[in-house]
Amino acid sequence: MRRELGMFSALVAMCFALWLSNSDFLGASNVINTTRQVSMLGIFAIGIAFVIITGGIDLSIGSMVGLTGVIIARLTSTSTGGLGYPLWIGIVTALVVACLFGLIQGLLITRLRLQPFIVTLGGMLLLRGVSQTVVEGGVISMGQSPLLSLASGGLLKLGRDPLIPYPFLIFLSVAALGGYVLHFTVLGRYIYAIGGSRDAAEYSGINVKKVETLTYVISAGSAGIAGICYAAYIGQMSQQVGVAYELYAIAAAVLGGCSLRGGEGTIFGIVIGSAIMRVIDNGINMFQYKYSDADGIRRIWRLDPNWNWIIVGAVILAAVILDQLVHIFQAARAVREAGARKAGIAASSSANAEAAKRAETHAG
Amino acid sequence: MSSASVAEEPLLSMRGITKRFPGVVALQDVQLSLHAGEVLALMGENGAGKSTLMKILGGVTRPDEGEITVAGKAVEFSNVRDAKAQGIALIHQELMLASNLDITSNIFLGNEQRSGSLLRPLDRRRMKAQAEALLARVGLELPVTTLVSRLTAGQQQMVEIAKALSANARILIMDEPTSSLGSGESEQLFKIIHQLRANGIGIIYISHRMGEVMELSDRITVLRDGRYVSDLLRADASHDKIVGLMVGRALSNQYFPQKRELAAPTTRLVVEELELPGAPGAVSFSARKGEILGFAGLIGAGRTELMQAIFGVTPAKAGRMLLSEVRYAPKTPREAIDRGVYLAPEDRKHHGLVLRMSVAENSSLPNVATYARFGWLDRKTERRVADAGVKRLRTKTPSIKQAVGNLSGGNQQKVVLAKWLAMQPQILILDEPTRGIDVGAKAEIYQHMSELAGEGITILMVSSDLEEIMGMSDRVVVMHERRITGVLEGSALTQLAVAGLMTGRAHDVDSMAVAS
Repeated sequence: MRRELGMFSALVAMCFALWLSNSDFLGASNVINTTRQVSMLGIFAIGIAFVIITGGIDLSIGSMVGLTGVIIARLTSTSTGGLGYPLWIGIVTALVVACLFGLIQGLLITRLRLQPFIVTLGGMLLLRGVSQTVVEGGVISMGQSPLLSLASGGLLKLGRDPLIPYPFLIFLSVAALGGYVLHFTVLGRYIYAIGGSRDAAEYSGINVKKVETLTYVISAGSAGIAGICYAAYIGQMSQQVGVAYELYAIAAAVLGGCSLRGGEGTIFGIVIGSAIMRVIDNGINMFQYKYSDADGIRRIWRLDPNWNWIIVGAVILAAVILDQLVHIFQAARAVREAGARKAGIAASSSANAEAAKRAETHAG
Repeated sequence: MSSASVAEEPLLSMRGITKRFPGVVALQDVQLSLHAGEVLALMGENGAGKSTLMKILGGVTRPDEGEITVAGKAVEFSNVRDAKAQGIALIHQELMLASNLDITSNIFLGNEQRSGSLLRPLDRRRMKAQAEALLARVGLELPVTTLVSRLTAGQQQMVEIAKALSANARILIMDEPTSSLGSGESEQLFKIIHQLRANGIGIIYISHRMGEVMELSDRITVLRDGRYVSDLLRADASHDKIVGLMVGRALSNQYFPQKRELAAPTTRLVVEELELPGAPGAVSFSARKGEILGFAGLIGAGRTELMQAIFGVTPAKAGRMLLSEVRYAPKTPREAIDRGVYLAPEDRKHHGLVLRMSVAENSSLPNVATYARFGWLDRKTERRVADAGVKRLRTKTPSIKQAVGNLSGGNQQKVVLAKWLAMQPQILILDEPTRGIDVGAKAEIYQHMSELAGEGITILMVSSDLEEIMGMSDRVVVMHERRITGVLEGSALTQLAVAGLMTGRAHDVDSMAVAS
């Protein structure tokens, strides 16, 4: 929990600093929008966490997010390029495709013993290509689809904006379900055991292949759910939707305390990690510094949006470096304390000669 | 040799060495000295501080206090390179060779012969010639271009020694070198050690096997609980005396429990013509209710593979098994477990336990689904079962929430056993049950095995420790090159007979050196 609490404090500090620099950061519309962004990332970050905790990786989920949106647009849109089927057909088809593809990836990884990195890298490229083919290289608008209200709508209207957007409710449900499965069920125990030692799990009679396959289905399925939200949010589906999202999800998981070696991580941590990733994004837009120049004219300095990736990358590196430094420092302190405790005991017995003598008598 | 060198200045002297780790003082004011041309056995139970002391000497960790002198000069090692520069070579228990490279590359790894800077090409011809000379010195007759992955454990050990020699080692530290060797390979190793000693190299030899220590060493240093206890010349040492110093109390040589009288034998497991993957012949034997059936053999004799077939890890290719007179053909460990066949594997850290998980979580792992309600973990039952296991086996752990990785080897093995005892074992397979476990814990494990057999559980025990095979087994199955060469019991069960069958030379037993 150390990592999680540390990251939570960092998140709170970050929000406070952004609020100081620009009070609009905590304005209703920005808060609601950021919450929506955090929620949509969080949904599939929780999914990929299942894979990461078993020690695997899933690079295909960004493309999966895009593909599910594209399928929905293609099947249900009444605009150009859409086939105009009912919305539920589009949603069900998209989720089935996502879970099936997760199942296929899982089976390839567990039955053929292929490396997850390679299988899901192939999946990532393949699905991206499928998206591109489905939209024929262009854009399909969702038009006036009722789906759009999924992203814009919510509970407790506050003027035009809902205080609790629907994606946030979906995110809460996914997090609750994920937390329940991971922390309170036998399946969750097996997932941590496999991540800790695949062989020991196998030797304990756990059906490792089945559990691992299931994690890839969970990961792809959660990407499907997130994809529906993104389709509703963006409204214009092209092959560009979801590019590099898998990296956001992996970063969120790692920031939240998952180890890519497997066996570590909590749902609370993933939620915090997702929030940090999206608050950084938002913060780059919101951060400002007001000053008066030499002529006394008031000016506002803002971050160059081109720095986006530099800042995101730097934050991830800083977080893992800091975590490691704290770890090293704590280990050193524990050693010093142990030394101090034992020093008193050592002083009372003049160690060597006596110990040797005692041993001789015992042995003799 | 040793008595003459006592007056000389020691090759190595360590004084007042203290090392603290989080929560423990690993070493407290420890001393050690070593002369040229001497074999010093370093003895102590697990956790006595042997490994830490050797890591300090090898430059792997730094001491908090104390001084080290090599050939009279004070030295300080901040890393492995510094120690190597002083001619100190450490051969780890788990060999540190790159299995994807050939012998020559391994010998010169990190010490490549090249003409000039790091980017100059390697001087392959010179390395090859030197490697050939080194292999001749350690008596390994193999092309130096052989990949290390194709070598046996014993041959790899020789390559490690050749590597140490190539760096002009004056002090050679060997940590449990025979733990993965069969007795033939051990003999070869002992020969090389004698040779190195004659060449004036100082050797620190760590082993739990008393027979080897008495055969090889000139002097014995005993550590206990991170403190120096005593030095003994071999002439003054005896098995009982050393064990007494190690555990701090006199132990009788006979730490094996009394063998039980078997009641009317009931057959529990019948194995007929079982064909193991990658093996030529087939294997047949049977095991009775409540007996300890020992499996003796050299490394690679196929014993572990046989046990993995019985446990369903790698199913047999052909053949038939009957468990309690019902057909038994497990294709996964789960199927074996469901029939009451459990395995405590040889490599307990990787196969037996999830080191990061707690004692409770490990104890419940195979069984947790059976006392879950609708998939919901029942932590209360889990705690109760784990507590019972800890109590029954007298596992030393601060709490059942402790991560298993923080326990000693003996206590880890107890957790593996507890995991299976919480269920109803029919057959318990113990592969090398006491490897790397100290004397005191060994005796406890033996006591538990004996009790379990007394309860009617059939124990299949694979062991490379002949003393253990003799001390514990009711009957012994001997394997050689993946075939059973004999099943011994009663008066036919002698060390000589077992050792002979192990090497496949039943009639040539005289050539076998048997640990006394």
